[in-house]
Amino acid sequence: MAGICCGVVGESEPSAPAEPSSRGSRLRILDPLPFKFVADRAVPPLSENGRKRHRIEVLPSEGIEGRKPRKARVEEEKVKGVADIKVARTDGSLNSRENVQVEPQECPKFGLTSVCGRRRDMEDAVSVAPSFCSESRQKPNGLHLFGVFDGHGCSHVAIKCKKRLHEIVREEIGRCKESSVQWKEAMERSFARMDNEVEWSDVAKTSNCRCELQTPHCDAVGSTAVVAIVTPDKIIVANCGDSRAVLCRNGVAIPLSSDHKPDRPDELERIQNAGGRVIYWDGARVLGVLAMSRAIGDNYLKPYVIPDPEVTIMDRTAEDECLILASDGLWDVVSNDTACGVARMCLRAQRPPSPPRSPGSDLAVGANAESSDKACSDASILLTKLALARHSTDNVSVVVVDLKRDR
Amino acid sequence: MAAPTNPTWRNGSFPPELESFHEFFECWLVKQNQDLHDLISASSPARDASDQALRPLIDRVVRHYEHYYTAKSRCAKQSVLPMFSPAWRSSLEDAFLWIGGWRPSMAFHLLYSKSGLQLEAHLAELLRGLTTGDLADLSASQLALIDDLQGSTIREEKGITEKFAKLQETVADASMVELSHAATEMTRDEAAMEEEVEGALAAKEEGLEEILEMADDLRLRTLKEILNILCPMQAVHFLIAAAELHLRIHEWGKKKDETQAQTRHT
Repeated sequence: MAGICCGVVGESEPSAPAEPSSRGSRLRILDPLPFKFVADRAVPPLSENGRKRHRIEVLPSEGIEGRKPRKARVEEEKVKGVADIKVARTDGSLNSRENVQVEPQECPKFGLTSVCGRRRDMEDAVSVAPSFCSESRQKPNGLHLFGVFDGHGCSHVAIKCKKRLHEIVREEIGRCKESSVQWKEAMERSFARMDNEVEWSDVAKTSNCRCELQTPHCDAVGSTAVVAIVTPDKIIVANCGDSRAVLCRNGVAIPLSSDHKPDRPDELERIQNAGGRVIYWDGARVLGVLAMSRAIGDNYLKPYVIPDPEVTIMDRTAEDECLILASDGLWDVVSNDTACGVARMCLRAQRPPSPPRSPGSDLAVGANAESSDKACSDASILLTKLALARHSTDNVSVVVVDLKRDR
Repeated sequence: MAAPTNPTWRNGSFPPELESFHEFFECWLVKQNQDLHDLISASSPARDASDQALRPLIDRVVRHYEHYYTAKSRCAKQSVLPMFSPAWRSSLEDAFLWIGGWRPSMAFHLLYSKSGLQLEAHLAELLRGLTTGDLADLSASQLALIDDLQGSTIREEKGITEKFAKLQETVADASMVELSHAATEMTRDEAAMEEEVEGALAAKEEGLEEILEMADDLRLRTLKEILNILCPMQAVHFLIAAAELHLRIHEWGKKKDETQAQTRHT
């Protein structure tokens, strides 16, 4: 389920070969900022307790799924409206998805990494939908959606969000009057519809997930959702749960969402007013079960756990460098500031031809040929590796969107 | 070697084929130790780090692992039960065994841990755009491959675990319950009884042998597939981490067993 892809619409060059380029001497000069910037924060290792809930293990009843030959593997999902994202897969080849007419210069460059990490199950899902409104003729084309969904209990709610949420958002935007999208309302309606679909849709026939969609297990499944819509002049972030969006503006980390934790004072009050309780058992948990106060799904925890997003609308400025969306697999162990520092260093890379580094005589790889989306991918990879290095025990998903217009 | 004597061995010593595997294991550890030294010196910056220089060493180390599993499989065919409670392992190692060996998914934790240590150690260089050539340098495509492999390995591991569970449950199947009852009541002639018991247990042992074979196959395959994803220098670092962990845990476990044995005797 996991994948790592870097991409930009309309890109035509082949991706890097799967084999890593020779070690030793390849030198890519990024911004020589002091090391201290990142290394200043020691994060204690998380124990297994860091996870979202006391899990219900249900093994799939079918036998062992054999390993597929790697060569042939490409991400096969065809998400309608998800345009022409080139996915660098295992063999290093590119797979052009079903395409929709998209103007290449419009979509910001991005990189995404999503790995299972030290967990035994992959429950994160990531969606990237450039120009996701291009099908609705009356609306402008320059809307791009990025989403991170961190599932709990099973992965099917997160996967459903990945497949459907951008379509729902498109429909909700379509209902708005020309050129005046009421973002807050549109996003709230979208999340409510998403939650409703998860609750009522008959996904059982198509899904082959761990929980096997049996009640009551299926009711105990949910997902965070952090969605960013990047328009030519705005960034709209809708968040529900404890994944997070952070804007890096002129070197400063500006969080565009606030985690929905059960012990956040306003959330605690809301839960208590609804008649629910927050019990401190392995961290603050709604009814002693769920370690977040809002989520898509989780029917059995309603009305204490709600799917309503908080929406932030931020005007874009020339100083905006990048946007980072990630699951708590990153944020639990890497601070907003550190993440921004790492991402902007990767993005600000000048990449001049570089002298080989001793020892060894390998040639420096053609650094100039690398495009900015490679830089975004470098950023998402490095952040992911940093999370793993700092003992993140969760799935790690990171999307880095380049917001600089003059690159 | 603090080998706890297993009460199921009637004569108190190892069956002959097992004695040889025990010896084999000790020899193999010595060899692994040599491999470790060679790997460490190959990873030192002063050495020729070209692929041509490293490949033969990596291949040799992999052949040693293959040799281990070939010998293990041969011994398991003769007598499978000791493979599930191997007396050549310490009780510490025993406690962490999965179907008579290391848990395949553990390899990914080993990789991520080692890679993380190297990443933290070289973070400043990496941020300046330098490459380190070690496991801190895992590329996007490598990470994607590792992640895929981890997913499929865990799926296979769960499948084998499930098979093992089913087999373990057959210990209480109707024939076993019937036989144990008959043996208690002594309703049958002793010779016939013994034959029936042997027959019933033989079927179980066959099942164990099959599951051990699958588990060992997954272990060796996982190791090789991880090495295939890594470039030679990274593979060397991974093999170093694997050997260090294996050898040191074995030592610590033996020491623990010895201390335990001493306190029991004093």
